[in-house]
Amino acid sequence: MSKYLLVTAALAIGMASGGLAGDVTPGKGVDMVLLPKFLGIKVFDQAHQGALEAEKELENPKPLKYLGPTPENSVAGQIEIVTNATTQGVGAIMISNNSGDQIVPAAKAAQAKGIKVVTWDSPIPSAEGEDVFVAQVDFTEIGKVMADMALSIMGANGGKFAILSASPDAANQNAWIAAMKEALKDPKYAKLQLVDIVYGDDQQEKSYNQANALVDKHPDIKLIMAPTSVGIVAAAKAMQDGGLGDKVKISGLGLPSEMLAYTKSGIAPEFALWSFTDLGYLAYYTAYALATGAIKAEEGATFKAGRMGEYKITKDPTRAKGLRILMGPFTVYNKDNIEAAAAK
Amino acid sequence: MIALGRLKSWEGLLLAILVVVVAMNVMRSPYYLGIDNVVNLFQLSIEKIIVALTMTMIIVSGEIDLSVASIMGLAAVLLGCLFKAGIPMPAAILIALLSGLAAGLFNGFWVAQAGLPSLAVTLAGLIGYRGLARVFIQDHSIGGFPVWFNTIGQQRTVGPLTISIMIFFILFVIVAVTLHGSGLGRLVYAIGNNTQAARYAGVRVKLIKLCLFGASGLVAALAGILYGARLGSVRGDIATGFELDIITMVLLGGVSIFGGSGNIIGVGLSILVILNLRNGMGLANITGDTQTSVVGALLILSVLVPNLMHTLKTKWKERKT
Amino acid sequence: MNWLQRRVRPEQIRELSLLLLIILAVTIFGSLIPYYYTSRTFDRIAESVTIIGIVGIGQTLVVLTRNIDLSVGSIVGFTAYFIGALIAGNNGINPLAAILLAIAMGAVMGAINGVLVAWARVPSIIVTLGTLAIYRGMLVDLSGARTVTSDSLPGWLLNLARVNLLTIGMVRIGALFTIALSMVVIFQIGTTYLRAGRCIYAIGSNPDAALLIGLPFRRLVFLVFVISGALSGLAGFVMLARFGNITVEAGRGLELEVVAAVVVGGVNIFGGSGSVVGATLGAVMLGILEQSLLRLQISEFWRDALLGLLILLAVASDAVILQRLRTLWGRAELKVAPGMPPPVPETEKGVTNP
Repeated sequence: MSKYLLVTAALAIGMASGGLAGDVTPGKGVDMVLLPKFLGIKVFDQAHQGALEAEKELENPKPLKYLGPTPENSVAGQIEIVTNATTQGVGAIMISNNSGDQIVPAAKAAQAKGIKVVTWDSPIPSAEGEDVFVAQVDFTEIGKVMADMALSIMGANGGKFAILSASPDAANQNAWIAAMKEALKDPKYAKLQLVDIVYGDDQQEKSYNQANALVDKHPDIKLIMAPTSVGIVAAAKAMQDGGLGDKVKISGLGLPSEMLAYTKSGIAPEFALWSFTDLGYLAYYTAYALATGAIKAEEGATFKAGRMGEYKITKDPTRAKGLRILMGPFTVYNKDNIEAAAAK
Repeated sequence: MIALGRLKSWEGLLLAILVVVVAMNVMRSPYYLGIDNVVNLFQLSIEKIIVALTMTMIIVSGEIDLSVASIMGLAAVLLGCLFKAGIPMPAAILIALLSGLAAGLFNGFWVAQAGLPSLAVTLAGLIGYRGLARVFIQDHSIGGFPVWFNTIGQQRTVGPLTISIMIFFILFVIVAVTLHGSGLGRLVYAIGNNTQAARYAGVRVKLIKLCLFGASGLVAALAGILYGARLGSVRGDIATGFELDIITMVLLGGVSIFGGSGNIIGVGLSILVILNLRNGMGLANITGDTQTSVVGALLILSVLVPNLMHTLKTKWKERKT
Repeated sequence: MNWLQRRVRPEQIRELSLLLLIILAVTIFGSLIPYYYTSRTFDRIAESVTIIGIVGIGQTLVVLTRNIDLSVGSIVGFTAYFIGALIAGNNGINPLAAILLAIAMGAVMGAINGVLVAWARVPSIIVTLGTLAIYRGMLVDLSGARTVTSDSLPGWLLNLARVNLLTIGMVRIGALFTIALSMVVIFQIGTTYLRAGRCIYAIGSNPDAALLIGLPFRRLVFLVFVISGALSGLAGFVMLARFGNITVEAGRGLELEVVAAVVVGGVNIFGGSGSVVGATLGAVMLGILEQSLLRLQISEFWRDALLGLLILLAVASDAVILQRLRTLWGRAELKVAPGMPPPVPETEKGVTNP
């Protein structure tokens, strides 16, 4: 008898303290939209795969809509897709934001209609119109990782290096670059000198040309740091084509499968990334949980995201306002582990 | 059977197409005819349709202006850069408008005065003005405009309509009156029909063409500024590729590429067709380049079909005699 | 002066002056920029000239007939992507087969343009503006917006960009550059000495007269668009070899650079005059400007603004100066033609009756 009382009491206390840690019930029909920065980039395709995996697990009968603008129309295109989705009255929009704060009016209109707005990979800087941001890594930490990779590649004597970024509006890249600059202030990196930041817009040709332009303008740089999966490949090929692989090294964030040849040949001795598939998976789970009411977008809410385990919504320390879910780990790839990773 | 005669005309055809497109869209989405969506429909392309109005006059006069999208970009960028430099917004807007006027007059000078083909001149403008815009703004984007400015492009101020939509309707009336109800309009048609004859008849062809290009530039600048207000920020590649839609709207409206014919009602109808088509595609989750390729096909058809009809009619007449 | 007027056409003077301008530009830049006369500079210029040069040949032919082809950028992107996808899926494919396939693909797309312009009588600006959008849309749709990545491509393709066929001093002539150069030579000879080539000039100079004489007007206009498409396909292959990674954005905006090079190179926008060599010189000039401005730390964006200005100047000077030169030349020919009565005394100053 007392055993039952104990269990009941425990259950009662459990329920009283905010419900069972967000139980995500599968099987509910929710219209979901996955909106990358733009179409055509492998990492976003991987995120799409991850989201589809989550959809299958959650048995959502309504199919996921994977929509994206074209690169030269990214900002206006994303705004248009969000606006149209609002008209259609979907359940949740998952967006990798390439439009800075320009997406805010459209996002707020969506929220006003009861649509959940979940950002992933790249948040809305002011956090207006956003329910929660699914962060792949801690942005401040990425800055430190890039600084460390730069130091390890250029060596104790340091030298000049430049950054090849994506779009000048991209919230994530800007945050990472800012974090890297902050990390570089540490005296450990005193000999590393950042000479230039250029933008390749996540486009192959442009990034290729920008990488070459960097070498033309600063003939004595020793490293190009490209925190963009398109930029890093383009820069590596540019150095390879120009026969500069010994003088100028490449690092940044890239896909192992795309960087395999360049890491083996020594042009890109080290670079990092996380799993975009996991990111898409987690973003889907988060959006679904919010849309079905399993959790609310507030600090402290927790839920179980399928095979990835439990996650908790916290305040985002890298922005003035905003909530985030931190996915977690990333990997630094080099000659030793890249073959295994690329094969996956 | 005057009514049937009207229906057989190009405008009738457009009206029929419009009804079909709207019907298809309504069947697909119940929200389609709601006032919210109708406003959205206009909003998403409002800048293009504003420029289409002056483009109509240019094409009727026998010329073409490929540089409008680049002038839009240039004006928007200038606005942003001036704003960032601390110049008060109203002054920045004025300067941006004047820059569009200057660009248009520059085009007009080479076309009207020096007699160069407008295709080549405005192609140079398309490249050059865009380049100039990027010189000013480089790769950055400038935002953070004052709230009242963003309101112009985004907020529903006049009932459910935005100021941009109001501007479009006002301009529509102005162009309609000019083209169809004024002496100037008749002169523009005359120039388009036969420039040499018009010149010999004493029409000041050079002056009129200069003014038309100037107006085109000014309105393009206005549209660029409104675009910046709607997006809340400006970039160097803003409005790239808009000239395709704009030219299609005009040609699909029954305006002949060779000049001298067409009317503003047709252009108005074709604008509605293209807006509904784009919006319908957007709601059907067809995006970006696919939408544009449909517009491209429409462009070709808008000249191809009249050509074919003309050939068929002549062959038919030959048969009869 | 007479001797000169008899031997040299006005258009050739135009090309000669462009060549002099190029030499002048190189000298000036060489003195301003350190390490200018290096193989790296040559490589970078050759890179940009290769693709634009190949497409420029086709564009020249089109412009000579008083038309324009704005769809080349989309054709280049389309072929680059799909040939790339094809090779990625079948790594063992014969290189020559791949190149021929690219050319064929481009030729088909050019043929569509050609039919619409030559037989359906739709102005080429409309047709190619439309196909620019249609081909790009088809590329995005059919590819599912995926990317062709270099890790899926065979080694021979990726290394093509680095193969050196010839090394003259510091200058490295690569395989891709050789392809471009040979195309230029072939087509220059073709347009100058082949009957079809001369007919193309005739059509552009005076379409009405050409029709009256009975030239195969429509077939030739169709042909130039097919060639333009085919060469764009070849350029697509070169782009694939150079960049490895091809996205659906490949080639966007290329048409503007090509038209700029062609116009600057002395090909008259009214049709009928200009040459393949001239267009290539135009591409070289633009390549030099682009590279050199970059080195001088002048914002790369000035390039487009300057490009627009150059086109304007080229067209304006062609309209004004060339017209005058032609009139002068025409008078000179009249003067020296045997068996003709002496011409009426000139009333304009500067020209005297012999």
